[in-house]
Formats: sequence, C-alpha cells, structure tokens
Amino acid sequence: MTFLSRHMPWTSLLVLAICSTFFPASGDSWTGASAAAAVVRAADDTMPPVAEGSVRFAVLGDTGTGGSAQRQVGAQLAESHAVFPFEFVLMLGDNMYGSERPQDFERKFEEPYRPLLDRGIQFYASLGNHDDPNQRFYKPFNMNGQRYYTFRKGDVRFFALDSNYMDKDQQAWLEKELAASDSKWKIAFFHHPLYSSGARHGSEEDLRDIVEPLFVEHGVSVVFAGHEHFYERIKPQKGIHHFTNGAAAKLRAGNIRVGPLTAKGFDTDHSYMLVEIHEDTMHFQVLSRPGKRVDAGTVVVRVPAATTATKGDR
Amino acid sequence: MTTIRAAACAVALLALPVSISGAAPVQAVNPTAAAIHAFRQKVADYVKVHREADSKVPSLTETNDPTKIAVREAALGQAIRELRAGARPGDIFVAEVRPHLIALIQRDFAKRSRTSRRALVEDQPATLALEVNMTYPTAIPLATFPGKLLRTLPDLPPELEYRIVGRHLILRDVKANIVVDFIRDAVPTT
Repeated sequence: MTFLSRHMPWTSLLVLAICSTFFPASGDSWTGASAAAAVVRAADDTMPPVAEGSVRFAVLGDTGTGGSAQRQVGAQLAESHAVFPFEFVLMLGDNMYGSERPQDFERKFEEPYRPLLDRGIQFYASLGNHDDPNQRFYKPFNMNGQRYYTFRKGDVRFFALDSNYMDKDQQAWLEKELAASDSKWKIAFFHHPLYSSGARHGSEEDLRDIVEPLFVEHGVSVVFAGHEHFYERIKPQKGIHHFTNGAAAKLRAGNIRVGPLTAKGFDTDHSYMLVEIHEDTMHFQVLSRPGKRVDAGTVVVRVPAATTATKGDR
Repeated sequence: MTTIRAAACAVALLALPVSISGAAPVQAVNPTAAAIHAFRQKVADYVKVHREADSKVPSLTETNDPTKIAVREAALGQAIRELRAGARPGDIFVAEVRPHLIALIQRDFAKRSRTSRRALVEDQPATLALEVNMTYPTAIPLATFPGKLLRTLPDLPPELEYRIVGRHLILRDVKANIVVDFIRDAVPTT
C-alpha cells in the first residue's frame, strides 16, 4: 500500500484517474505532471542508436516562442535523449520570435532546453527571418560571432548558412569552404527550404538558384531547413536529400500541399528529428509532440561524381 | 588647285590643337555610374561614422549573457545617433541614385512570376513608421532579401545591409540594428 493510497480517500483517487483519462493536458494548459505522462510515450517510440561511436544529433526548427508547445517538445527531446543519446542540436532559425530582451533568451531557449543544456548538449544555431543577427554573439548558440559558419563532427562537416541574406560574400565563403572540405559527409542547414510543398511559403527559388549548384558540385548529401511550420521529407533533388523541420514550437496545421516533391509530410502536430550518421549511412527518425514516430529511414552518402547517376531520383 | 587644298589642310591641322585646347574637355559621363559613385561615397562616409561609434563602446565578443549583447547593440546605436544627429532621409540614398535603385527593384519584380512576387510581398513585415536612426524593432521580422535582387544592387560593406519593409527599401546597420536610410515605395505593389 502506498503512502498516497493510505492517506487519500479512494474517491479522490477515482476522480484523479477519471480526470487523467478524459481530460489530458492540452497544449496551453500543459504542466510538469502531464509532461511526465507524455514523455514516457516519446521514450517508448524513440529508436536507440545503431552503432557505437556514430555522430548523433537532433534537429529543431522555428523554436523560439517560449510557449507551451516549445516546452513540450523540449521535454520530449530530453526524454528521447535518454534512449538516443545525441551530442548536439542543430537549430534551423527563428530561434527567438518577437522581443529579444535578455529574459527572452531565458524563456525562449534556456528554460525549454534546460535538461539538455545541463547535460552539456551543444546547440548550433542558424538565423531565421525572426532573428536579430546579433544572436551570433550569444555563446550557447555556438556561432562564433558569425552569421554563417562551419564545424566538423567526426566524418561530417556542417555548414550553417544565413539564408535571410545570401550576399556575394557568403556565397564565396560557402564555395571556398565546401571545396576545402574533405569530409565524407557534407550537411548544410539554414532557415529557408530550397524545396517545399508548403502553401504558405513554398520553395525558396532565389536561394536555390544560388546555393544548389554549389551543393551539387561539392557533394552535399543532406540539407535541413525550417521556416515552414511542419515536417516534410522531400524526394531527393539532384541527388540531395532535403528535410524541412519547422514545427518544434509553431505549427501550420494542414499546410502541406502534397505534390510531386513530397516523400513524407506531417503537419498535424509539432515535431523534431533525431539523426545518426555511421560510415556511409544516415539514419533518421522524426517524432511528434505526443511522442509518436511519424517518419524514419536512411540516407546514403552522396559523392559528387554520383550526381549524374542520382539525377531524377524519386 | 592641289597646292591650295594642301595648304588649306595644313592650316586646318595647325588650327586643330588650338581649338581643342581652347575648349572644355568633352567627356561622356554615365549618369547611372555617377549616381552609384555618389551613393558609394555616402556609404563610405557612413562606415567611417560607424567605426568611430564602434570605437567608443565596449567591444563585443561571444557571451553567455544576452544582457551584454542588448546593452552593446543599444550603446552602438546611440553613439551612431549622436554622430549623425542631423541625418535625414536621402543622406545616403542620394537623390540621383534613388530612381536607379527603384528601377532595379522594379525590373527584378517584373521578371518574377506572380506567385514569387506575391510570396515576397506577403513575407514582408507589417508597415513600419520609418525614421532615420530609429532602432529596427526586434519584434518585427527581418524579411528575407531576395538573393538575385541583391546581386543587382550596389555592393555594401559588412556594416550595412539592404532590407525591404512593406514597400520600402531600407539600409540597416547590422550591428547597431538601426535604420540608416530608406526609400519609400521602392517595391511594386504586386
């Protein structure tokens, strides 16, 4: 017999059980107690890593609301981390919606991800259209004071771009860094998707015309973007795999217009992505706010010479 | 007859250098190039102001404390405002360059599909009451600047960037987050 059942009348326990069953916490009234119930499901649906020593990370886009959905996804992500211990997180922009006062950094970043930050998980941010570019000086975003930057983890070289302002200097920098990299995997991440089936924004064609030829020429395998508030996996374009993850705090429900680009879409709830890279294979899984796995699969590394062979992939 | 013609030619040739040196040199001036040159000169003058202001406030490196970022941004903006106390619209987007920049933007929009134009306009933040030296409100998004259009406009130093707000083209100081100058109604309505 537990302490609770000894000291609480059975009628109160019955009421509590009924409330928990029929009135689950909604997005706006989410509490720590309901989080505990929710994250158990997330952990259940999170797949563990496939290999020791692999590069593991999470991907979040459009996070900075400070609202209940962001906190819920943050809690789920922490729970997933227990099963899938990732080392770092890629942030796809719109890290801070609205005001950017010091307390906003706390409410819209530090608090929702406190469990991960406390475990030493590194966050690598890119800038969205809602972000003051001076966020690059905020050390926990690991941008080294730059609007665009690169870093390496194992066999993977990451390129964080500022897709809000793709000027000639950034284009030249990108070309130089891509050409200089001998990493097996090259992954770019930034805010605006080059391909999207979103009714609100759609594909960012201007940006695509500038950066895609560089990605193709220099062997970029995967591109992560946000901006659209849903999850979408695009059919490979010119051999490159594109993922849109812009629903870690905002949601544009029902906004995907499924068409020739869409391999998989999820626009009915918030979501986040977990990625593992081991040798030539990238394993990915996408989980929703309630902790359900909504997509999973693998991607094989692309080499520039294979561009022609993969052209027109479906 | 031949002798007379030869003599006339000789006189004419002798007179030519005199007449050339006597008149003002006629040089073809490309008004667009001159306008861009004037704009670039104003931009260079602004960068001097920015750097002077930058030297007066504590330098900013990466920090865990967002307060330091906000304080530094505000201090730099204030220092620039003090150095440019009398600044007015058109000080940098000088009168002669405005029609050229507007033409470039309109030409870019004309090449775009209706969907692309609509997406660009819809992506713009709500109308903002623009003033030179105002802080760009952080609560208002900085709309993506179309990459292809950016390549047609005169290059800017890293201290400055173009942005579109509503239908207006603004020149924004990146580190100080202030509106340095603007051109109203530079962007077509549709």
